[in-house]
Amino acid sequence: MKQKSNKGLIFIGLAIFVVFLFPLYWMFVTALKTQTEIFAIPTPLWPRELTWEPFLEQLSVSGDTLRGFKNSMIIAVGAMVISTILAIPAAYGLARFRFRLKKPLILFFLITQMLPSTLVLTSLYIMFSRLGLLNSYIAPMLADATLGIPFSIIILRTYFISIPKELDEAAKIDGCSHLGSFVRIMLPVAKPGIIVTAVFSFVYAWGDLIYGITFITDPTMRPITSSIYNYVQQYQTLWNSTMAFGIVAIMPVVLIFIFMQKYIVSGLTNGAVKA
Amino acid sequence: MGVAFAMPAVIYMLVFIGYPMLQNIILGFKNVDVFTFSKPDMQEFVGLKNYMELFTGKNSILTKSITNTLIFTIGSIFFQFIIGFGLALLFNKKFKGNSFFRGATMISWLLPVTVAGLLFKFMFASTGGIVNQFLTQLHLIDAPIDWLLEPHTAMIAIIIANIWIGIPFNMMLLTTGLTTIPEEIYESCSLDGANRFQRLFQITIPMIKPAIMSVLTLGFVYTFKVFDLVWVMTKGGPVNSTELVSTYAYRLSFEEFQFSKGAAAANVLMIILMVVGCFYIKLINDEEEAM
Amino acid sequence: MKWKRAMAVCLAMITVGAMALTGCGSKASDAGTAPAADAAESGEAAQSGKEEAASGGKKEVVIWDYFETDAQKEMMQTLIDGFNESQEEYTASHVYVPFADYEKQLTLGVASGELPDIVIMDGCGMASFISMDLFGDISDADINWDEYIQGPMESTMMDGKHYGIPFATNCTALFYNKDMFDAAGIDYPDENTTWDEFREMAKALTKDGVYGFGNAGTNTDEGTFQCLQWLYTAGGSYTDIESGIDAYKLMQEMIEEGSWAKDVVNWTQSDVNNNFMAGNLAMQQNGPWQIPGIEKDAPDLNYGVTVLPKKDASSNQATSILGGENMGVVKKDDTSGAVAFLKYYDQTDVMVEAMKQYGSFPPKTEAAQDAYWTEDEIQASFIQQLATSIPRGPSALWPTYSSAIQTGFQEVMTSAKTPEQAAKDTQAAVDAIE
Repeated sequence: MKQKSNKGLIFIGLAIFVVFLFPLYWMFVTALKTQTEIFAIPTPLWPRELTWEPFLEQLSVSGDTLRGFKNSMIIAVGAMVISTILAIPAAYGLARFRFRLKKPLILFFLITQMLPSTLVLTSLYIMFSRLGLLNSYIAPMLADATLGIPFSIIILRTYFISIPKELDEAAKIDGCSHLGSFVRIMLPVAKPGIIVTAVFSFVYAWGDLIYGITFITDPTMRPITSSIYNYVQQYQTLWNSTMAFGIVAIMPVVLIFIFMQKYIVSGLTNGAVKA
Repeated sequence: MGVAFAMPAVIYMLVFIGYPMLQNIILGFKNVDVFTFSKPDMQEFVGLKNYMELFTGKNSILTKSITNTLIFTIGSIFFQFIIGFGLALLFNKKFKGNSFFRGATMISWLLPVTVAGLLFKFMFASTGGIVNQFLTQLHLIDAPIDWLLEPHTAMIAIIIANIWIGIPFNMMLLTTGLTTIPEEIYESCSLDGANRFQRLFQITIPMIKPAIMSVLTLGFVYTFKVFDLVWVMTKGGPVNSTELVSTYAYRLSFEEFQFSKGAAAANVLMIILMVVGCFYIKLINDEEEAM
Repeated sequence: MKWKRAMAVCLAMITVGAMALTGCGSKASDAGTAPAADAAESGEAAQSGKEEAASGGKKEVVIWDYFETDAQKEMMQTLIDGFNESQEEYTASHVYVPFADYEKQLTLGVASGELPDIVIMDGCGMASFISMDLFGDISDADINWDEYIQGPMESTMMDGKHYGIPFATNCTALFYNKDMFDAAGIDYPDENTTWDEFREMAKALTKDGVYGFGNAGTNTDEGTFQCLQWLYTAGGSYTDIESGIDAYKLMQEMIEEGSWAKDVVNWTQSDVNNNFMAGNLAMQQNGPWQIPGIEKDAPDLNYGVTVLPKKDASSNQATSILGGENMGVVKKDDTSGAVAFLKYYDQTDVMVEAMKQYGSFPPKTEAAQDAYWTEDEIQASFIQQLATSIPRGPSALWPTYSSAIQTGFQEVMTSAKTPEQAAKDTQAAVDAIE
């Protein structure tokens, strides 16, 4: 009896997996089809004539796909570093200490997370222009970090709360300062949470469209999301090339996901209870 | 000491978000438009004029976009939550491949929204779109539906795309909640002869109420501010039927050059979200005090 | 499994490395961004180095454009090379800004002062940016103002002052697939074709997945550009919607009949042309800039072009809407370089050569009479249509008008409202614009 229901569950799990990942499958298959097959009725679920042309075209040196990939990489890693460095101590401070401003500060971080990027676009543009940062990687990096910081703080804060107080008290008895116990005890223990927040800061920055497209007009420095957006404006119905472009754009996210899945799931489930 | 730890992040966010936000609030009370944009001496405070005009004009698009945003948000959250909850319950059981399947469903949440939007735009296309093909082959429809061309179906299409993106978020947070329920409670309950549904409504849901509330409020906040997805899929059309507050504010500022009105529309969005945010804060406060 | 671990270790190392820097707050964030900063700076340095080498102390003239096709880019490069060789004082260069983002970037440019010397932009958008103080008054410049065609010229002016010159001009006309007409045994449309006859043609040609007619009805100004002419031809204008209600009726009835493609509410002009080339449309409304594309992608397409259908036998030739770009001079302390470039372009032969490459018409009356256009049957139809073409606006509030007007067209095309209701509501929306 038990065995049987288990098989049923596997089947349901598999069915959900198939339905849920169908869009991704469809993206991949479309990228391998010829334009004629895409518009054939009914369109085949698997390409009859495999063509790698859209991929090769996207990856060829002349296309700006790879350049966009590199630009996005620089921007997203930068944003991830800024966001993680700022979020870790803030989350620790908000988790471990009692002070009057604590609640207002938590509220503040929550609110900043709620704002649509379009709201701050003009002011940021003027600010970056005065600092001479337009058309540099730094402008979208600084702006993208604001997407990751509140999320990271909220996740990490619950992470730090869940670490037993006794741990750092023991460290203090051994003569460690606050800073010492933070660096030596808390950081190693919170490592899974930190990795997750870093991953998410990266993913947020990687997926950003509006900041990248606004602060960078130089085509050679554009991140991949704005390249793909511009590409679609120009070649609306070339779906196979567009999808090939899309696959290049989601590659790092998929890789991160495959390699970091365990961390992401556990990091989120431990940290997100109250976030 | 705690303040010192938090300060760098606070300052950073104040500079890059707080200051622009303040600017935006001020801009919403001014009369900056195409004529006064470059003439600071002609810019003056006009009180609530922008808000009045946005709300009262005949065929007010703001009112329509708020309604649209609510439909979009509630439609998205309802299904995201139901499906996410179902998946959480499923993956809470132990079976082979459990963690693999659960992990795989996470991926839609991580994709760049621009790409997800393009993908769904393609799947919902009138010609060559796979959605129409499936529906026709299953004999659910006779003729292809022009998903993104008709006002009602365009809204449905963007909601479906957003559901796909948001399910993992719901599933993860609810899974977390479920793992906190001790096994013993179920055991004692099944001895009492309670059936599955009774167990679901009498134990599971009350036990994870905090997690449910978090999911719903956060889901509301994240969905209410969606911009990229709609911009890529429909740009608010056809006939403003998918115009959300976020896309409308953007359009007012950067396509019609009504800067103050655009700021005012964005502020309306912000006010609604703040109310929901305060509700959420109260929620986690109660919870932390209870702990 | 090993891979997974390696990846995890890598990421952990990055994170830990980053954390090691937290010890000294501000320095850490410097270190974090430093490599990127270097990269950005060296990139800039390389670029400016190149510019300096090329200019050798000359003053720079930077031009923004949104030209995407290879032909357009070549045209721009030829112009710039020609200008740079023609004089010693200035050196011009151009920057591509994507069309979808163009006006946003200009707006932000005005706000921050990050601007080029010359902006090439869509004619109907210029009035807004004149109001926003983007452009400077160059009425004193030595330009042959009176040689320009009036409509395009007006779009570069405000209150009698000149802010630039028209760069290219064009309009839409009616393309028709000759093979389809022959197969159906119908006469080709010509300058005498009326709306009723046009409607009959479209109906007769609609079959087997082919629509009789299609145009661009997307919810942007691109849609307004193509739809507005129907309103004018019916007797309306951008401020007088109700007088053009017959256009609404025609659109709704033809779409309901299936002879006017209903997909148009989502179509841009390239979508329309793609469908025309693919044989899905027997007739399309489109502009001369599509001709090079047709020649390249559908060289066998047997098509003709004529003026748009007129309302009835007694009315004049249909109105079309002027499209095309203007060159505006950005307001700066020193606009001499920009004006020099305009003067270079003001020469009729330079203009004619550039427009041949560009696939549009020169905005000067005389230049447009070049044999290159008048002796080509298709091009001559556009020249004929240009004679009854009018600009959009001009109004600084054009984007608001455009958005209200296009909403009206979309309501009619999707049958969301009756023509009467849509006309009433659109009129009210247009009247509400100050």
